[in-house]
Amino acid sequence: MATVLLVEDDPAARQGLELALRRLGYGVRAAGTGEAALRDVRDAAADVVVLDVMLPGLDGFEVCRRLRRGSDIPVIMLTARDDDLDIVGGLEAGADDYVTKPVEPRVLDARIRAVLRRTTRTDSPAETYGELVIDRGSLIVRRAGQDVSLPPTELRLLLVLSGSPRQVFSREQLLSLVWEHDYLGDSRLVDACVQRLRAKIETDTSQPRYIQTVRGFGYRFGPV
Amino acid sequence: MRTRLIIAFVVVALLAAIASSWFHTLIESYHLPGWLDGLVRGPGWLRNLVLTYAGRPPLQPARHTALVFFGVEAGVLLAVIITAAIAASRPVLLPVQRLARAAQRMAGGDLSVRIQPRGRDELAQLVTSFNGMAAALEDKVGELERMEARARQFAGDVSHELRTPLTAMTAVTDILYEHPGLAGDAATAARLVHTEVLHLNRLVEDLIEISRFDAGTAQLVTDDIDVAAVMGRCLRARGWTDVSADVPAGLIVRLDRRRFDIILANLVGNALRHGALPVTVTAGLQPDGQGGTRLTVAVRDHGDGLPPDAIPHLFDRFYKADTARARSEGSGLGLAIAWENARLHGGHIDAGNHRDGGAIFTVSLPVNGHPAAVSGQMVQLTG
Repeated sequence: MATVLLVEDDPAARQGLELALRRLGYGVRAAGTGEAALRDVRDAAADVVVLDVMLPGLDGFEVCRRLRRGSDIPVIMLTARDDDLDIVGGLEAGADDYVTKPVEPRVLDARIRAVLRRTTRTDSPAETYGELVIDRGSLIVRRAGQDVSLPPTELRLLLVLSGSPRQVFSREQLLSLVWEHDYLGDSRLVDACVQRLRAKIETDTSQPRYIQTVRGFGYRFGPV
Repeated sequence: MRTRLIIAFVVVALLAAIASSWFHTLIESYHLPGWLDGLVRGPGWLRNLVLTYAGRPPLQPARHTALVFFGVEAGVLLAVIITAAIAASRPVLLPVQRLARAAQRMAGGDLSVRIQPRGRDELAQLVTSFNGMAAALEDKVGELERMEARARQFAGDVSHELRTPLTAMTAVTDILYEHPGLAGDAATAARLVHTEVLHLNRLVEDLIEISRFDAGTAQLVTDDIDVAAVMGRCLRARGWTDVSADVPAGLIVRLDRRRFDIILANLVGNALRHGALPVTVTAGLQPDGQGGTRLTVAVRDHGDGLPPDAIPHLFDRFYKADTARARSEGSGLGLAIAWENARLHGGHIDAGNHRDGGAIFTVSLPVNGHPAAVSGQMVQLTG
């Protein structure tokens, strides 16, 4: 049974979402502010954070950034659909995925399960590409000997791309393979995630060796 | 106006000429002082000129000579009269033309037009009145525009606020609905609440979408999309397997995939709900006559067609052509949103009736198509 840390300031929405998540079979801890959420995560581990963007005090983006500094815990943003600043801001802060409010419980459930699935392990030997070492068995990624900490979505993106080196994946395909979104998913999710991944594994992000852009088509791993 | 003035001048001149000729007959035998005599009978040298050429006793100049002189004199006078008429009409006509041009510019939308009045006559008064009217109109229209902007802002704000209580309700409504302990009225009540909460969600979402168009914050997120693939998935995702679509394979265009899906889903949904089967969808690329290409998608049904007086209002917000069908699954904003989505792409949607019956909606979007990718092979997507 996975544990969800729910961060939502509106009391009715918090109560409703907590109730829905419990009925879906999750353990739930609820926080009404970003500060409370950060304290909670320090005290006890959670499996996934569902984080509202609009919070009093520390806003959702800042909470996400601080969460990311310490861990790879999956983060799903709860956004209002005012404008796309919410979505882009969340992605840049390091969120794995987002849902828009009001959200139906089954949709939230699907997103949580998809994000938790991203960290499934396989039995394969470690693969080396130049300075990069990818171990699918232990889900450890190393660059120039150093461990690279990757949240589940970035990790899964790297695994999918490197699983078929040189093959071009379209944004649409990646949305389906990595995020399990339907064909209408927002391709900016992919772009933002690629940028974050490059920042961690590329020596020179302006000339990426591992995650390459193929204009008009999508992305591919290598050739290194 | 000018012609009328010229005619008036010429008529007056003719009457004056006839009157003076009568006058001449009357005073013929009178002896007039020199200057008056010259004025009435013509100067002495002119009479001598006539006599010299005629070469006849003074009282009977040759007929044809007299006619010639008369012709010349009449011609000169006519020219003078017409010039005088035109000159006299200019100060009247010029301001009138300026007024007409100003009124035209105002009708075209420029309410800041004003004219400088000259002088103090009736025309100047007309110009001053015109300026006053234009100023009043500009103020009124400005006020109306501000009111409309406030109303749209309000609609957007209200929808945003509605989202918060809706979040809690959406999260728990199915708990009520699925509760096994409820029976009879309570079960019906729970089911109603469940459906209406979801309906409200859709309405709020549509309202927010529309308010984004109004506020100018709607953005295009474009990608190279395979038209046949996107259209096929649009139909299959909604279970519309009895809609037939003829779309060229391999047609790749640069569009906003989500918005394109919304347009298509709305048109096909309407065709199925308000029209009748068979519903067909066709797509293709067409040159736009200016060196570019357009993607044209036509959705046609075989129902009763659109009532002609409804057609100009179809894309209005909350317009319901059939008032008996006041209750619908949609929000009443579907076509308005589709229209705005097309417009955001720089395209448009036309609605009309097919000549063989049924309604037909045609979407036209400017794209940079890859004609080379069109394999010429039509793909049957469903059915």
